[in-house]
Amino acid sequence: MAKLIELKGLSKSFDGEKVLNAIDLYIRDGEFITLLGPSGCGKTTMLRIIGGFETADEGRLLFEGTDIGHVPAYKRHINTVFQKYALFPHLNVYENIAFPLRLKKVKEDDIQQRVTDMLKMVALSGFENKSVSTLSGGQQQRVAIARALISHPRVLLLDEPLGALDLKLRKDMQNELKTIQKAIGITFIYVTHDQEEALSMSDTVVVMADGEIQQIGTPTDIYNEPKNAFVADFIGESNIVDGIMLEDKKVKFSSHIFDCVDGGFAKNEAVDVVVRPEDVDVVEPSRGMLTGQVTSVTFKGVHYEIIVDIGGFKWMIQSTDYVAPDAYIGLYIEPDAIHIMKKSKYSGKFGDYSSFSDELDRLSDAELAEEF
Amino acid sequence: MQQLDIPKKKPSFMRTIAAAPHIVWAVMFIVLPLIVVVWYAFTDAEGHVSFENIAGLSDYADTFLLSLELSVIATFVCLLIGYPLAYMMARAPKHRQKFLVMLLMLPMWTNLLIRTYSIMAILDDGGFLNTLLGTDLHIIGTKGAVIFGMVYDFLPYMVLPIYTCISKIDRHMWEAAEDLGCTPFQVIRKVILPLSTSGVVSGVTMVLVPSISTFYISQKLGGGTFELIGDTIERQFVSGALNTGAAISFIMMLLILLSLAIMNRFTDADEGGVIV
Ligand SMILES: Nc1ncnc2c1ncn2[C@@H]1O[C@H](COP(=O)(O)OP(=O)(O)O)[C@@H](O)[C@H]1O
Ligand SMILES: [Mg+2]
Repeated sequence: MAKLIELKGLSKSFDGEKVLNAIDLYIRDGEFITLLGPSGCGKTTMLRIIGGFETADEGRLLFEGTDIGHVPAYKRHINTVFQKYALFPHLNVYENIAFPLRLKKVKEDDIQQRVTDMLKMVALSGFENKSVSTLSGGQQQRVAIARALISHPRVLLLDEPLGALDLKLRKDMQNELKTIQKAIGITFIYVTHDQEEALSMSDTVVVMADGEIQQIGTPTDIYNEPKNAFVADFIGESNIVDGIMLEDKKVKFSSHIFDCVDGGFAKNEAVDVVVRPEDVDVVEPSRGMLTGQVTSVTFKGVHYEIIVDIGGFKWMIQSTDYVAPDAYIGLYIEPDAIHIMKKSKYSGKFGDYSSFSDELDRLSDAELAEEF
Repeated sequence: MQQLDIPKKKPSFMRTIAAAPHIVWAVMFIVLPLIVVVWYAFTDAEGHVSFENIAGLSDYADTFLLSLELSVIATFVCLLIGYPLAYMMARAPKHRQKFLVMLLMLPMWTNLLIRTYSIMAILDDGGFLNTLLGTDLHIIGTKGAVIFGMVYDFLPYMVLPIYTCISKIDRHMWEAAEDLGCTPFQVIRKVILPLSTSGVVSGVTMVLVPSISTFYISQKLGGGTFELIGDTIERQFVSGALNTGAAISFIMMLLILLSLAIMNRFTDADEGGVIV
């Protein structure tokens, strides 16, 4: 797949605050790429620069090799599905979708044909004459998608398009969006703060924090090989502990020397060690590489979520077997379950479950969802 | 959130008391005068019920048509100037908008009479404009001068409702329009204009109503050469012909109400409608 869009050293500040810092990224033709990161990290700003609603302070924005930094939005072959849909209230469903075609003076027969096809694709046949204000959120969403796609743009930008929908509808729409993208084969640039959504829909995920790209990769890469403590923590659950790389494939953490599969670090380099909760096996204390006392056990349906105190550091473990609270258990970790990361400015900030509570986790998720 | 606690029962005694001054005020200064006008319109000088006042109004048809002509032209000119002005104000940076609104309101702080006199001084035969240009233009006493006066005096009433309406349109509407291929001009024509009709209707009403019944502007800037319906009403009352004056006023009121009703049909009731 050829490079369609390239961002080169793109920076943007608002009121002296750097919102995007030297962003380098290329986007291939036809891929589903997701910008993922917590609220306020600059995702929307990046999307608005690509769409033509903001101009970068520094750097270049290339479309098929040509600088389009100063091309107005209406001349770009890039359309947007806005977070709040932004349907035109004075037009009905049919006219909303036909809007871009009327601007181009497309023949009436053609318009009719294309709008009908488009309505079929977004499963809204028969809604032609409805007023947009009578539609549900999900239906408005579909109209917005149809309207953005009807003029055959090369790229579709979607800014948290499912944020306002309830969970069930959200899952359905995720599948539908993915199907639509495959069917028409154009590039989708998708913004979300929901890591599950990002992992399940995208070809490429771009993890962002503090106006900088932390990691670019396929969903599996991002999950299995997080580049730093931020990514490891943001994507899924992770235990992140301080370690020392004794030599290639030998790492010491929690006062124990482990075999691992990573290498290429300096001798005795300080590193962050990531172990996913589902990769830890619970064993007899005598057989454990590490031992500790269980502090809490929560039933999660498929598994138990166990918090274990190991030398003052709380680990999260997911196990299908029940253990009793306060029990002493041993932990066994396979070499390929241990992932070594270079130290970064995020080291030490994430990956300890001492203050972990599900409720807090949900609260902060809800806060994220409220903003945009 | 706290507001949820306020019980939705019928208005308490205290609230009725609190609303009382407003009701008294409304009755004394709106309802009673209206009744008096209607009463005078349908009685003769001796106080007997009579339809002669109304029947005799056909004499004033020409005056009325002239008023209508001038005020419609003035309203149209206000719209032509006012809409782009309101648009530019609404698109200006937020901090500058307040300043622009103040600038627009500034002339309204000066009394209408003084403003009209100033226009007279400027446009008069030996006035400022002619002196400045060294010309001998005869402006005062023409329809143009009266229309100019109306436009000058009532323009803010056109701009403000349109400005309010446009600035309430969500930023995403503009962006969506542009995103879908509208040139800046098409954004206005296809999206902003249709979404600001309620502001236009308010503005048209707020300019048309006072300019159709104005009397001062026409007296001063018309140079006494023609009389508008407002002048006629004033003359009736000044000369003591209360019944005729009341009859004309009554018919004017009906016509204005009728046109308001018609114009309201062009806007959605929930979009704010006409401010009267
Ligand atoms: N127009 C603007 N003016 C000032 N600050 C802005 C503007 N747009 C965004 N910001 C700021 O830039 C930061 C990044 O915002 P945004 O790109 O919306 O983040 P995200 O979409 O990842 O939540 C936030 O701190 C936000 O307050
Ligand atoms: Mg955002």
